[in-house]
Amino acid sequence: MKRKKIQRKREIGGATPKFYEVFARQTSDDPLTHVGSIEAPNDALAEVRAWYIHDEHEWRELCVVPTAAIIAVTERGKNVKIKEV
Amino acid sequence: MRFSLDGLDGATRTAFENDLFAIADSKFVLGNWYARCILNGRSLPDFAALTAMTGAAYGHTRSLWQYLVNFGHNYGWIERGRDATGIRSMNMLDGPPADWADFIATTWLAEQATWMAVSGYLYCPDRALAGLAEKIGEETYFHLKYAEGWMEIMSESAADTRAFAKAMEKRYPLALAWLAGAKGSDALKKAGLRNITNTKLTKAFAAEIEQGAAWAVKKSALSGSPPKMPGWIDAHRRAAPLPDALFEAIRFRDPEAAH
Repeated sequence: MKRKKIQRKREIGGATPKFYEVFARQTSDDPLTHVGSIEAPNDALAEVRAWYIHDEHEWRELCVVPTAAIIAVTERGKNVKIKEV
Repeated sequence: MRFSLDGLDGATRTAFENDLFAIADSKFVLGNWYARCILNGRSLPDFAALTAMTGAAYGHTRSLWQYLVNFGHNYGWIERGRDATGIRSMNMLDGPPADWADFIATTWLAEQATWMAVSGYLYCPDRALAGLAEKIGEETYFHLKYAEGWMEIMSESAADTRAFAKAMEKRYPLALAWLAGAKGSDALKKAGLRNITNTKLTKAFAAEIEQGAAWAVKKSALSGSPPKMPGWIDAHRRAAPLPDALFEAIRFRDPEAAH
């Protein structure tokens, strides 16, 4: 049987996976906390997928941030960045 | 003062009831569209979104049906006692989706049209209905966002753009006919149940669709007045009864499973 070849761009939405980090808080006193990550081809679908997948609470605030927009200051296993002279 | 349907004259009460039936039944069939297409979702998160939208569409349907009990109907009759001739969903949802572009175009049109109709009740003197309208609006936001996300993807492919345009040209006039065909609904504005006339709602719908579909469809392809539909039933806002095959697909077979 010939297996169907997935046309990633047309069927899933992007030629390469795009990831988003999901942050939420339940009350205005709570800190905005990382609750998970999702893959979505664009911002609109990221918003929808975050809303439906991370529906474990009635959030006061829920937001998504493209993982690519996050600037790492320190990373596990690496030293704090220093300015080279 | 507590709102009561008894304060409405006969014609207004009938127009009110017809309008709510048309919205609720359209959402009933729309929920089935989502349910049937879950496995056509493009990925696991898509399945989750389609499943959630199925639940939301059924939830809106049942809340509106529950509200219709106030008109003297038995809930069991509303949900399971009507045959194909009694279901008042829009004609646009009669034919199944031909492809993914048609699915997105049609569900987007159905969400926009039903939301336009529901939004007229946001300031209804009956706070129960106004609250329900607000809740439907909050959930519809994500349903529309889902369609918009897929439209953005389809806009990058010439083949998908053509398929979307073809679907819009076929489905849009039927959505327009449903919204514009709400006879007597301006009595709802006069009675203060709605804060906007049906003519204005229809114009707002047309403007919203023209703008949202501009990436695929020329304005001229969408302009014009709603088509004349032979066999149009004013009270049901549709032409001809629901096709039997569709009725068999949507009806609840097991009353226990419906709750």
